[in-house]
Amino acid sequence: MAYLLTFHWGWLLASLLLGLAMGWIAVVQRGDGVSSVMARWLAALAAALVAASIARIVPGRFGYWLDLLIVMFACYLVGCAVGSWLRDWVVSRSALVPPV
Amino acid sequence: MRGLFRWSSKWWPGVIPLAVFWAIAAWNNTAPLEADLAARSGDALKNITLDKTRIAVAGRDVTLGAEAFSVDGRQSAVSSVEAVPGVRLVNDETRLVPEARPFVWSAERDVVRVTLAGSAPLPAVKGRLMDAAKAALGNVEVADQMGLARGAPPRFENAAILLLDQIARLKDGKITISDTKVQLAGMARDLGGREAIAAALKNLPEGFSVANEIKAPPYVFQAYKDPVAVTVTLSGYVPDNNIHAAIVQAATRKFFNEKVVDNLKESIGAPSGFAAAVVPALGALSRLSTGTLVVADREVKLSGDAFYEGAASQLRAGLGKDFPQGYQYKAEVTVKPAAAPVDPTVCQQLFSDLLGKGRIRFESGRANIEPDSAGLLDRLIETALRCPTATIEIAGHTDSAGEDAANQALSEKRAQAVIDYLVKAGLPANRFTAVGYGSTQPVADNESDEGKAQNRRIEFLVR
Repeated sequence: MAYLLTFHWGWLLASLLLGLAMGWIAVVQRGDGVSSVMARWLAALAAALVAASIARIVPGRFGYWLDLLIVMFACYLVGCAVGSWLRDWVVSRSALVPPV
Repeated sequence: MRGLFRWSSKWWPGVIPLAVFWAIAAWNNTAPLEADLAARSGDALKNITLDKTRIAVAGRDVTLGAEAFSVDGRQSAVSSVEAVPGVRLVNDETRLVPEARPFVWSAERDVVRVTLAGSAPLPAVKGRLMDAAKAALGNVEVADQMGLARGAPPRFENAAILLLDQIARLKDGKITISDTKVQLAGMARDLGGREAIAAALKNLPEGFSVANEIKAPPYVFQAYKDPVAVTVTLSGYVPDNNIHAAIVQAATRKFFNEKVVDNLKESIGAPSGFAAAVVPALGALSRLSTGTLVVADREVKLSGDAFYEGAASQLRAGLGKDFPQGYQYKAEVTVKPAAAPVDPTVCQQLFSDLLGKGRIRFESGRANIEPDSAGLLDRLIETALRCPTATIEIAGHTDSAGEDAANQALSEKRAQAVIDYLVKAGLPANRFTAVGYGSTQPVADNESDEGKAQNRRIEFLVR
């Protein structure tokens, strides 16, 4: 894992930044999100992929690409979470301050 | 936390650029990552002895193919690659180097090169054997046809290196190690090479047995009697200083007339009984007017011309028993054309000349003629044959040591012994009379040993 992080740090940073941006936008975005049923299916898919990666059942290059995808996706999710939380914090602070 | 769930439902649009990033990252990084892992796996295997190592990387999975020289080596190769950071799986395609049974290694020398073949236990050993062969052989070409196999006997390398030193001593031949049996065959380069190899083989490591069938070039001793230059030339080899001196001394005694030219060299490798064969063979040569003696290993070859028919037939037949056991004797002896008859005064002159150069020797205090005098007697007989009408008095003389009566008897007996010898050679007995003078007619001072030796003599007097 450490090897994957050091070898692909640029791409992982890009994923993180993409996540930050997406999280930042998501707080104030209007419109529908993913339905909860769909979200469960997606979570199940992600869990299956992670399980496949841990079990090392996907051979060769496909296995490597799977690992890379999971690591990048994890960085993206972390970026989203931090971005959303930051935006929420900024929004709630500005709401507390009465308009001039 | 609830907020996080609510927001997360709207995170999905970012997945599309993320997928693009992933595709680009996978496209760009796969080959460099594989190359990096291959290089680091190779480094990890550097200190493990393997043959035919093959590393193939797909993604983060390494396929390792190699031949290991031990079970431990095989396991440590796999675990070293597994320990390389970034490697996900190792496909173990290693196997053990096949075991050779029997474990055979050979070094063969022919005209142009030395070929090392068979099995070596490790690549490093193989390299060291090649180095040792090149060091031992100088600028002779060394060809490497060795493979690798397990199952070498203990201390194989020491044995092989010792044997490579011996291949330098061979002209051609083959040295083989089969398990713990060492076999040598071929021809030594120099005289004594066989003995040197046999001596070196005593240092073989414990546990090896040897079958040494190295042959040596023939051990040749030659003597050539040249009647024109009046020389006897000795050439070829003698085993050591003592035998050298003994042979030259024997030649000087037997060839009373000729100068002995000593071109002998010393070398080990002589067949046993060498001196005991060469000395009587020189005696036979001394009875020829011209001739060549060749002693090659255990074969004695004499060729040349005898002085008269009786001597020739004696030389052809009678010498075999003088040689040590195992020696073969071949004589190609012809008879020298008979010299023209001369009248008795010339005959007397010839007798005096011959007896002036050499003396008929007897065993001390007895009347037995020493074999060393055979050459001189043959010349005397030849001379006697040239004047068939002359009657000859054979006079015996002694030195003054001992009682007169005994000396008188001894001188008579010795004169008679000479006549017996002449008669046996085919001369009519009635031409000779034996006379003993004891010590009454000295020709030199009886005080010195040299003078006494001169007084002990046989004279031929034509009457």
